[in-house]
Amino acid sequence: MDILLQSIVTGVLLGGLYAIIGVGMSMIFGIMRLTNIAHGDIMILSSFLTMFFMQHVIGNPVAALLLTIAVMLVFGFCIQHFLINNVISKGDEPALLVTFGLSIIVSNGLFLIFGPAARGVPTELIRTNLINANGISVSSMYALNFVVAVAVIIALSLIMGRTSLGRGIRAASSDTLMSELLGVNTKRMYVYAMLLTVTTASIAGMLVGMTFTFYPTTGTQYLIIAFGCVVIGGMGSLVGTLLGGVILGLAQLVGASFLGSAYQQLIGFLVLLVILAVRPQGLLSKAVRK
Amino acid sequence: MNGIFSKGPAGMAGPAWHARRIAPIAVLAVLVSLAFWGSDYLLSIMILIMCYMAIGQMWNLLGGYAGLVSLGQQSFIGLGGYTLAKITQVYHLPVILAFVLAAVISVLFALLISIPVFKMKGVYFTIGTWIVAECLALFFSTWSFSNYAQGYTITATYAFSTAQIYLVALAVGVGALIVVMAVLRSRLGLALMAMRDNAAASEVRGVEQYRTKLKCFLISAAVTGIAGAALYLNQAFIQPANAFGISWTVSMVFIAIIGGMGTVEGPIIGAVIFVLLRQALYNFPGISMMLLGLIAIAIIMIAPRGIMGIIRRKTQFEIFPVRRHPSA
Amino acid sequence: MISEKEAILTLDGLNVSHGDLQAIFDVSMRFPRGKIVSIIGANGAGKSTLLNTIMGVHRPTSGTIAFEGRDITGARTSGIASLGIAMTPEGSRVFEDMTVTENLLMGAYLPAAKRKRGEQFEKVFSMFPMLKEKSSQLATFLSGGQRQMLAIARAIMMDPKLLICDEVSLGLAPVIIKDIYRKIGEINETGVSIILVEQEVRRSLQHSAYSYVMAKGRIVMEGASDALPIDEVNDAYFGINRFA
Repeated sequence: MDILLQSIVTGVLLGGLYAIIGVGMSMIFGIMRLTNIAHGDIMILSSFLTMFFMQHVIGNPVAALLLTIAVMLVFGFCIQHFLINNVISKGDEPALLVTFGLSIIVSNGLFLIFGPAARGVPTELIRTNLINANGISVSSMYALNFVVAVAVIIALSLIMGRTSLGRGIRAASSDTLMSELLGVNTKRMYVYAMLLTVTTASIAGMLVGMTFTFYPTTGTQYLIIAFGCVVIGGMGSLVGTLLGGVILGLAQLVGASFLGSAYQQLIGFLVLLVILAVRPQGLLSKAVRK
Repeated sequence: MNGIFSKGPAGMAGPAWHARRIAPIAVLAVLVSLAFWGSDYLLSIMILIMCYMAIGQMWNLLGGYAGLVSLGQQSFIGLGGYTLAKITQVYHLPVILAFVLAAVISVLFALLISIPVFKMKGVYFTIGTWIVAECLALFFSTWSFSNYAQGYTITATYAFSTAQIYLVALAVGVGALIVVMAVLRSRLGLALMAMRDNAAASEVRGVEQYRTKLKCFLISAAVTGIAGAALYLNQAFIQPANAFGISWTVSMVFIAIIGGMGTVEGPIIGAVIFVLLRQALYNFPGISMMLLGLIAIAIIMIAPRGIMGIIRRKTQFEIFPVRRHPSA
Repeated sequence: MISEKEAILTLDGLNVSHGDLQAIFDVSMRFPRGKIVSIIGANGAGKSTLLNTIMGVHRPTSGTIAFEGRDITGARTSGIASLGIAMTPEGSRVFEDMTVTENLLMGAYLPAAKRKRGEQFEKVFSMFPMLKEKSSQLATFLSGGQRQMLAIARAIMMDPKLLICDEVSLGLAPVIIKDIYRKIGEINETGVSIILVEQEVRRSLQHSAYSYVMAKGRIVMEGASDALPIDEVNDAYFGINRFA
């Protein structure tokens, strides 16, 4: 019983981490109808950057994160402005394949620079427990992940729902021509959306780096997790992404508590496959797939 | 090489027609003879070119012709490789049986996963097929039958000379090319062209479209499985992480994009460039992959029909005409 | 003929093609400042292509477009809009998942409009009191007529110098059409130049100062609206040229 309860608690908290990984992918999909295959690698790139900045530039994790975000914003601008914006109107396939190429470039670039070794962002949080009672323990790191995820998703929802920037992005995504007629440069809106995305990816990258070890090739693994959150939660829905992450985290850990931890990832992927086949529009979405 | 290629539209009579008949036989003869006079180094490169051409052709059949952009073709490479390992290493049966079984198992597995993945459209299919492959990688590393994550050393490799493995690879490569040409010239090919040229009209006949795509999926699974066995016969060592790794499909995608998606010649050109570039930068695997990524992105942005597209636009020639009418 | 000086928008020798098909043939037009000008034509006469070309959606194969003496040929749509040209496209195209207020805010997206958006809100709400009542409702719940009003109000939020209305009356009840045309008249009285694009001959002539008649991608007739005989316009509309 305790094991199951522990799995549920940990699963929900892990789901928070998954959600913050997925939220950027969800944004890009919701706004540009683009599946960004490089999303996982972009996130791992920020894990490496944060680690690098903490080791060589500034020890303070928050300062290192800010530096990472600054670099990632430049990177995000470049890939959107020079690459994706130029192929986005040519149909789904070219843009998808461009992000695929990007994914390979980033992961191999990281491999060249940092080598194949396992890395981590140093933190004490992973070794401490926030709660440790009645046989249930809550890791401080996992708790932080969940809190940050919820905060980021609320912040993003507010930006998208309440600000002029968010309105512009939403308008550009729902009717490109009408937005242009109102003077909204839709390509620029896509750039802004990508900047928001890389910011969340930077935060996710730091949290992932603190929670787990990572390699240059880890990105693809997290891409599938991000995709899972997005699909389960309904493409483009921010709150749905949180729910998607929690469902995926729960499926993995509860499944693992019955079958053994070796099957944790496999169970998550199988759940995802079933959902993809049965309800590809997502669990929350009422929309019908085109 | 130039003399054997003929210009002009398909079905033209005269000298061009003869060249078209004789040229492939001549090229094939040269390629077979290579086994007897080629150096081991040349042969080992040709093995890779042939195998990668085969899997590139199969990815192109799906992505370039059938509108099925898959990132999960490594499933069949892995299954082919493991079939080879299991048959030769564990059961000590002849290699030829491994090749037959590789195709059979790949087709059966493709049939099985078609149930969920063919319910997925567009990008869902793309990621769905990838997740299937990741599941296989995870499953094989926890499965006693496949010797967990350790995998196998394939000692059967050492029973063959490089020239013999080259002949196997040549058979796989040429076989893949013949399969693709046959598919594209058959009724199936006509259905594919109709689907690609007029998606909206053929949308109506959903069942037929489903069957057409499924047939392509199964054919490409079979050939990719066989190519997987050939690749692992050459590689002599198999583990779940590399057997079912995305990098196989990365190479297929790059080969098809660089050479030209939706052309038969594309994957040949792509495979040659891919293998040579990787070989030239053998000691810097990261750099060659980055370079290929950059080339692929540049091609998507500048020349979406790849190198073959550029050649066709400039000269209008086709080495392997698959359309019955020289239209569009 | 309208002189160069009084024109706010000038089209000169425009040719537009969609791939191999030419849609607009050598069209030259002048739109006088502060007036309502109508472009009359049947479905497929090339009106929409012409408007899309003015707004930079299509690029002409030859010819120039000048707004207030400035060449805008081939400029980006959002850039053209920011110079002060607003267009309400066919079918209103309100943002369904946004509220009425949010839709209006989208009209005031450009910095210049954003600065005076309080003032514009007042203007729009006094012109369309209905929108004030429904300001917090999602646009998807509005009726066809209300959507068209919202689309016009959204365009007014841009504080444009020139307003282009594409088929504003399409599919609406006569009472509502009348109301919309009255509003367009009011907007014109505040100094905004207007281009009306219509299929309905009588209504166009009645509400405009000057008219162009288009058929098969060409201008087949033009003149002061009150001087154009309606039956001749009707003939021209259907591509019959009695002077040929």
